[in-house]
Amino acid sequence: MTDLMNSKKPQWWKSPDVKKTAILWAVCTALVGYVGTEFHVRSIVEPASETMSGVIDLMRIFTWAAAPVAGLVFAMCLTVLTSKRHYGDNPPAEADHQISNSPRANAVWIVVSALLCLFALITGLIVLQKDSEAVLESTAIQMNVTGSQWVWSFDYPNGARSEDLYLPVDKPVVFHITSVDVKHSFWIVQMGIKMDANPGAITEAAVTPNKIGVFDVRCAELCGLLHAYMQTKVHVVSQSDYDKWVTEHAALEGRA
Amino acid sequence: MTTLMSKPVSAPGKSIIERLNIVTALVLGAVSAFVVWRLALQFLPGDTEVRLFTREDKITLLSMIAWFVGFMTGIGALVGPFRWLMGKDLSHDENMFLAGKDMGINRYFRYTTDHKVVGIQYLIITMVIFGIGGILAMLIRTNLGTPEGGWIHPQAYNSIVGTHGIIMIVGTIIMVTGPFGNFIMPIMIGARDMAFPRLNALSFWLIVAAAVPLIWAQFIGGISTGWSAYNPLAGQAPLGMNGYIMFICIFAISTMVAGANITTTIVRMRAKGMTWNRTPIFIYGIMASVALALPAFPVFFLSQVMSGMDRALDTSFYNTAGGGSGWLYENLFWIMGHPEVYVILIPAVAALMEMAPVFTRRPLFSFNVAVMGIAGISGLSVLVWAHHMYISGWAPLLNAPFMLTTELISIPTGMLFLVLVGTLWRGRLWMTMPTLSIFALLWNFMIGGVTGIYLSDVPADAFLHGSMYVTAHFHYTLMGAGLTGALAALVYWFPKMTGRMFDKKLSWISFWLVQIGFNVTFLGMFTVGLAGQPRRVESYASTFNTGNMITTIGAYVIMVGMLVLLHGVISSWRSGEKAPMNPWQAKTLEWTVANPIPLENFDVLPTVTSDAYGYGKAQS
Repeated sequence: MTDLMNSKKPQWWKSPDVKKTAILWAVCTALVGYVGTEFHVRSIVEPASETMSGVIDLMRIFTWAAAPVAGLVFAMCLTVLTSKRHYGDNPPAEADHQISNSPRANAVWIVVSALLCLFALITGLIVLQKDSEAVLESTAIQMNVTGSQWVWSFDYPNGARSEDLYLPVDKPVVFHITSVDVKHSFWIVQMGIKMDANPGAITEAAVTPNKIGVFDVRCAELCGLLHAYMQTKVHVVSQSDYDKWVTEHAALEGRA
Repeated sequence: MTTLMSKPVSAPGKSIIERLNIVTALVLGAVSAFVVWRLALQFLPGDTEVRLFTREDKITLLSMIAWFVGFMTGIGALVGPFRWLMGKDLSHDENMFLAGKDMGINRYFRYTTDHKVVGIQYLIITMVIFGIGGILAMLIRTNLGTPEGGWIHPQAYNSIVGTHGIIMIVGTIIMVTGPFGNFIMPIMIGARDMAFPRLNALSFWLIVAAAVPLIWAQFIGGISTGWSAYNPLAGQAPLGMNGYIMFICIFAISTMVAGANITTTIVRMRAKGMTWNRTPIFIYGIMASVALALPAFPVFFLSQVMSGMDRALDTSFYNTAGGGSGWLYENLFWIMGHPEVYVILIPAVAALMEMAPVFTRRPLFSFNVAVMGIAGISGLSVLVWAHHMYISGWAPLLNAPFMLTTELISIPTGMLFLVLVGTLWRGRLWMTMPTLSIFALLWNFMIGGVTGIYLSDVPADAFLHGSMYVTAHFHYTLMGAGLTGALAALVYWFPKMTGRMFDKKLSWISFWLVQIGFNVTFLGMFTVGLAGQPRRVESYASTFNTGNMITTIGAYVIMVGMLVLLHGVISSWRSGEKAPMNPWQAKTLEWTVANPIPLENFDVLPTVTSDAYGYGKAQS
């Protein structure tokens, strides 16, 4: 913030360093917003569910919301760095002012950061509410997930059991997750859901896959020697392929 | 010196205090550990139950406790308390001896109470910790240079990750409040020493005592659980886990002791006239840091005592089969763990706030906002711990309130940015390594802070949690912001602490290498996190190749930068240019004492009449 308190020069915005900063601010904001979102969107996995698309949207929104603040800080830094710099072993002359406060700048800064904070909170809460309601979906497939060192196993409603997961596309699934030994964390990477598997407790997570394909399940909580290898695949298939698959596998289990 | 009002005891010949030093401590520690180990081996009953390790756990823990008691006795920690039990106190000569009067280099290897000696001891041990932690980091990055990993066994790899984590956490906790909080702070507030000089020595030697169980752990199975040592994984980990438990317990005591000491010193011993609004902002940073440690570390201590009891005594605090819960451990751990990151961050930022007016030759901008920011962060930081547990399933209903408190922290954090950037604005920039560090901090901390907002958001965290993204985020805050501030503090206070200037060229070279290497490393790490690479894995899918390769290259650049810095420290300390009393023309009190600093700092205690930021020309 500039020295808003300086009453002798009421037109503080006309001073050259303020003008320079204003231009830099616009440039930095655009750069931070653009580069920040591109950095995230290009690195992040292809979404395979609404939930994951929601996460990517949140990142976009938050990056653009933070961009003006980051842009202002960087712009002021650039203005300072491109003004006269003093090298050498002795200090430069004292600055030509003694401004040690600016209540208006403080107030603006605090109010703006509070508003941004409120915005982030509300945006997050809306999405969170949607995600929490998803586990109550009554038409969903109820799937039991068990983590053990170092494999995942999945129990389907009809008694089938497998170590790689099969799901029908566009149908909500609720996972009931537990562990038989230590803590694991069940992460379907491209669907943007993750929930810890705790021994002695059942936790829940829900998602609706919206893309046919093969996706990754990884363990996201250090669980011992072969933690890095505790991963498997999710096959999202059409409803008819899914029905065929679970029926076959239920029969397999029945025979065993 | 604190001499109680008792009659001095005359010490005939060489008193016990003069005989004790690090050698007696090591010998006594080793002997007690050995004796207790033999006795325990002989007399402890064998296991009757199914549990595999219980007896060995008991033996290991008992030997480690014996080491601890033996070492602390051998270094002389018990002499004072023992005298008090006898109804006597140390004589004036003994107190002077303890303060290290006329002892040269030897005082650094004893239970010396002079805060300047303790500060240097802390500086050295911090550097040793960073050295070891850095080597471990390089092992991790080298192993991750190729997707198969391969050349480090998974068990060893997990242990390296855990050890790197915990010792870097400890190193960063002590990196500012240890060296500078002990050496500089008392002079800065115009005091002759700390409030409790013997506690000061105690807090340092406790860290040395704690180091041994951690090293010991490496030879009995390592710490294969990551630094957080979650139960029940810690319950099934090898014997090395006991080393972690002992290490944390002793370190927690050290932190509590140092916290009580530093807080008391700041509250009670500021110079005449140094009112709260004339107290330098660095002092606020130190105080917030150690005051936060006071509620946090007893909980950490407790969590590890319970962990040790689960292992050695078959209790079931965290064991589900016996009615316990791993969630209990997670709560206790993070009730320590989240204030702890601010214990690290606040003093480092405050150190740069202290330097900003010096290197811009203008007053600190908005002192009150700086204090509010520090206070606000401290207050909120004890209310945010469960954001580490959003996806643990412990209490989904609490996710929203913890998201609120976590995001609220961005407001006081923003205040720190305002103060720094406001101080830079229209200053006369004096380009030094600390000045560059202010800009580096603003850059790194901005990235660390904004990525923190994504992580604080529950739905986004459901994707990001436990991935390399988190690892990159907290390195941006703890290393990019925290360590950057600490290294600037080292260069800034080096002339006062060693009497010599830090080699300018080397400080610049290392600054650029470390900062560039750092950003390459952790921007690369963000990308693999976003692409779905979990943390703490020793091998990964080939899709993560490029990002990991970049990260590993960046890590090597950091290593070179750190080696340059180490070279700078050693060469400047040995043969650097002699420093004038006040090389930066700064206005805080530590620059008013001569080099080398006399034993009790001030002949006449100073009186303070204004704040320390009276730079700039008054406008007519």
